[in-house]
Amino acid sequence: MTVHFVNLLDDLRRRSLRMAALVEDILNEACDALLLGDENLARRVILRDEGVDAEEVEVEKEVIRLLALYQPVGTDLRLLCTILKVNNDFERIADCAVNVAERAKHLVDHPVYRADVEIRELCNVVQQTLRRAIQAYGAEDLEAAQAIRRGDTVIDDLYARIIKDFTAEGATGPDNTAAMLDALSVAKNLERIADHATNIAEDVIYLITGQIVRHQS
Amino acid sequence: MIRPSPVSPAPLAQDVVIRTVSLTIRYGDFEAVKNVSLEFHRHQATALIGPSGCGKSTLLRALNRMNDFTLNCRATGRVEYAGRNIYDTGCDPVELRRRIGMVFQKPNPFPKSIYRNVAWGAMINGFRGDTDALVEQCLRRAGLWDEVKDKLKQNALQLSGGQQQRLCIARALALEPEVLLMDEPCSALDPIATSRIEDLIDQLKSRYTVILVTHNMQQAARVADRTAFLYLGELIEVDETPNMFTQPTHPKTQAYLTGRFG
Repeated sequence: MTVHFVNLLDDLRRRSLRMAALVEDILNEACDALLLGDENLARRVILRDEGVDAEEVEVEKEVIRLLALYQPVGTDLRLLCTILKVNNDFERIADCAVNVAERAKHLVDHPVYRADVEIRELCNVVQQTLRRAIQAYGAEDLEAAQAIRRGDTVIDDLYARIIKDFTAEGATGPDNTAAMLDALSVAKNLERIADHATNIAEDVIYLITGQIVRHQS
Repeated sequence: MIRPSPVSPAPLAQDVVIRTVSLTIRYGDFEAVKNVSLEFHRHQATALIGPSGCGKSTLLRALNRMNDFTLNCRATGRVEYAGRNIYDTGCDPVELRRRIGMVFQKPNPFPKSIYRNVAWGAMINGFRGDTDALVEQCLRRAGLWDEVKDKLKQNALQLSGGQQQRLCIARALALEPEVLLMDEPCSALDPIATSRIEDLIDQLKSRYTVILVTHNMQQAARVADRTAFLYLGELIEVDETPNMFTQPTHPKTQAYLTGRFG
């Protein structure tokens, strides 16, 4: 049964990576919808989230099934635990991308906020971070995962700067105030996505080394 | 033929009950156990795992000199217990086996009453205390008392396989051992009887040191505090069981645990 189990594990790993690619694509579309002011694209992002939710449940069911039937140990156990954990992160990333898309719909007519240079930079950095986390997961690349973990403070700093700048400038009139709050929500959701990408990197470190590095500086 | 190691090793650490030092066991020219140095900790269960023929049963049997009964079997190196090498001349193997008891793969009760099975070893070893109390105490510790207390005169062979195995454990306990060796004690038992023996091992650890050979890796994971992996007579890796099953360091251990061997 070992060959059979190894094949099932490979299938599940590939499935998890397909989900990763889907979520990365959704984030990219959410950022495009925001920066381009494309309301149709924003709606598409929101619709695609249903597929992610369904897939998350299916992947989780398969992990539980393999744990129950095969009682894996060693690297097999670590891989299944990692798949289960990153699966949750992918689903949450898609949720955050939906939040960005929802705000993007509100911000279509507010290019000053939606295409702000710092928001643009945050989109760019977060997209890159998620891409690198997924690559580290797919390639089981320890160095890449460690680099992502170290780089999280850059995003935190950028997010803090956006809040400071937006609130310092303030908004003129209620319409602009709502837009500013939407833009801040966008920034918050992007920052959360980066946190999930960092979680994925930490799970990759666990997968490769067996060490739990979460909550360690 | 026993040849003690010329090198006197460091004294035993406090929590180490028994240890092998550079132990090699040969059947004729065949080396079944190769230069194994391994410590067994007090009040812990240690599992010996590995594929068939890896030497785990031979190693287990060396710990109370059961291999003395095997033709052409020779041991070199040391097995230290109670401050001495058990293979030194002057070490009484009968007394040694009283202190280091053994439970075998297949339950092997004497064809006598349940009571006599437990009391027999103690009586021939000159036990002068309250035999009834001893029998009850051992059957209780083996988790069998409630099932057999009303039929102590019944022939032990009428018990189920799982009950017979617990009776054999009670029989070993009657000699007040310090260490219990178990050679695949559940391999002839169904899952329910296996579960009872595993629970029993967990309870026995508070009084005894348990060393267990098992083919069932999940059993090692469930009951052992430490696990040692042997392959082709060599000790490949020994560690705390949770580490062994989540982060094995040696590729051979990893391959064996995940079933990707050979």
